[in-house]
Amino acid sequence: MAVAEAGTAAAPPRRRRRRLSLATPSLLGVPLAWLGVFFLAPIAIVAAYSFDVYSLYPGTHGFTTAAWHDFLHSPVYLRLFWKSVQMSLIVSAVVVALAYPLAYYLALSGTKRKYVLLLLLIAPFLTSYLLRVLAWKVILGNQGVINSFLFWTGMRSPDHPISQLLYSRFAVMLVLGYVWLPFVALPIFVSLESMDRRLLEAASDLGASRLWAFFRVTLPLSLPGVVAAFLFVFIPTLGEFVTPSLVGGASGYMYGNQIVDLFGTGFPDWETGSVLALFLLGVVAALTVVFSRFLRSGQAAVG
Amino acid sequence: MDAALSKNGARVLRVFFALVVLFLYAPIVILLIFSFNKSAVPSFPLSGFTLHWYHEFLVNGDLRGALETSAIVALLSSLGAVALGVVASLALTRRRFHGKSAVSALLLSPLVIPYVVFGISLLLLFHTLGVPRSLLTVVIGHIVITLPYTILVIVPRLDQVDVDFEEAAADLGAGPLQTFRLITLPLILPAIVSAFLIAFTTSFDEYAVASFVVGSRLTFPIYLYSALRFPSQLPQVIAVAVVVLLISLTVVIAAELGRRIVERRLERAPS
Repeated sequence: MAVAEAGTAAAPPRRRRRRLSLATPSLLGVPLAWLGVFFLAPIAIVAAYSFDVYSLYPGTHGFTTAAWHDFLHSPVYLRLFWKSVQMSLIVSAVVVALAYPLAYYLALSGTKRKYVLLLLLIAPFLTSYLLRVLAWKVILGNQGVINSFLFWTGMRSPDHPISQLLYSRFAVMLVLGYVWLPFVALPIFVSLESMDRRLLEAASDLGASRLWAFFRVTLPLSLPGVVAAFLFVFIPTLGEFVTPSLVGGASGYMYGNQIVDLFGTGFPDWETGSVLALFLLGVVAALTVVFSRFLRSGQAAVG
Repeated sequence: MDAALSKNGARVLRVFFALVVLFLYAPIVILLIFSFNKSAVPSFPLSGFTLHWYHEFLVNGDLRGALETSAIVALLSSLGAVALGVVASLALTRRRFHGKSAVSALLLSPLVIPYVVFGISLLLLFHTLGVPRSLLTVVIGHIVITLPYTILVIVPRLDQVDVDFEEAAADLGAGPLQTFRLITLPLILPAIVSAFLIAFTTSFDEYAVASFVVGSRLTFPIYLYSALRFPSQLPQVIAVAVVVLLISLTVVIAAELGRRIVERRLERAPS
């Protein structure tokens, strides 16, 4: 570095070029090394574990696809995965459908306080996740806020609380939807906000009704935002294990819980756990790649 | 005539918006109400006003310890993530190099990894290396997952800052570090502050990854999760919840409004 600077003092035009080529590795070095050691290497270890190339348990180990074979032929794990996919799909679809009108209102109604309202909408998302789940645990329980309110007002007898509220698939989906709803409006808002509003005026001048203009102009143009929003919910909820373990009970048990249990203290099976984890990662990575292509081509078409 | 929305349409959407906001804040308000409720079980009818539960949690040493631990973890990991995020963002916006899109995809990829997968991966890594689990292992994990957020906040700000300022400084003889310290840093400071706050709050609240790599000193979310299994602890947990939620809501809103005011001022300053 010192040599480079001493050498460049005499020749200013050359200095900048040389600084460029020297500085890039020194800027990127630490962040990339960090991710290499603490992000990519750990995933590689899980991959090695899933093929039994590597193990922390004593005994003979060698490359085998046995754990993968068992997994792909196990109705239990695949059915659980499919159940989690269904739950995440429903949550994502409902949440996106609810968020769309919110984003539409903020972006296109001409309200002056749109950024304040947007902040009001998103702020809960930026507060504690665990505490928002806790709130629902307090609300939904058999002796919780809803049931005790019903007993108190005499609308329901204390012997028969609505017991499906907590520890059910419904509870998991409700809480996940509640947690993600504020965030989902954001990408849709951004895509609606960046839309050229003259297109709508043109459509209306050419005789299109508002509804027709919405389906032919607004919706297609905001589709990249909708897809992004959908993925932002679908990907994290698919691997979710915290919410189901708090409000899901047995019927709300998800694929992520299975992974945790395989690495847990009961009957640990790290090899199978690695297979499940890697499979989930593969699905998520494939989705991300496919849809980021779609989003980029969408942007190119719009832009 | 408004092409996007009729008068009635706007009215309907406004009501819908208000209902959703109500739905989002109602659980928080319910916690607030029950945190002052005398009964140890959070249920109707309300049984009278008390500050007992707030007092309980103030004298609960474990809980205070967990809050302290989380503050330390969040501080270290957000400082680390911001430092890495700034240099990575500088490279992405100020340098040309091969494979930039691959590098930026890698830098952002922790955004999409399921935390359960990342958690067990880190656990296996630390087992393999023989590193005992501690606060440090949590910090390491949190830097990985908060790094993309800092980049997403800092890169757009760097894109807005005119490169001419930096080149002028360099032409006047400032070294790269000096240019950064005197020119770039002050101009991107609002983004750095909000990146820091995002990383801090994310780390402070992070449960999933921490649950795999936490040592014997519990972080606040881990403590909270274990306390949820004991009904006797519920009332004071609700009191803590209210305090933490209100503080984080205030910080988030103040930070966002502050950033917008400062950035607007910075934009006006050169002209």
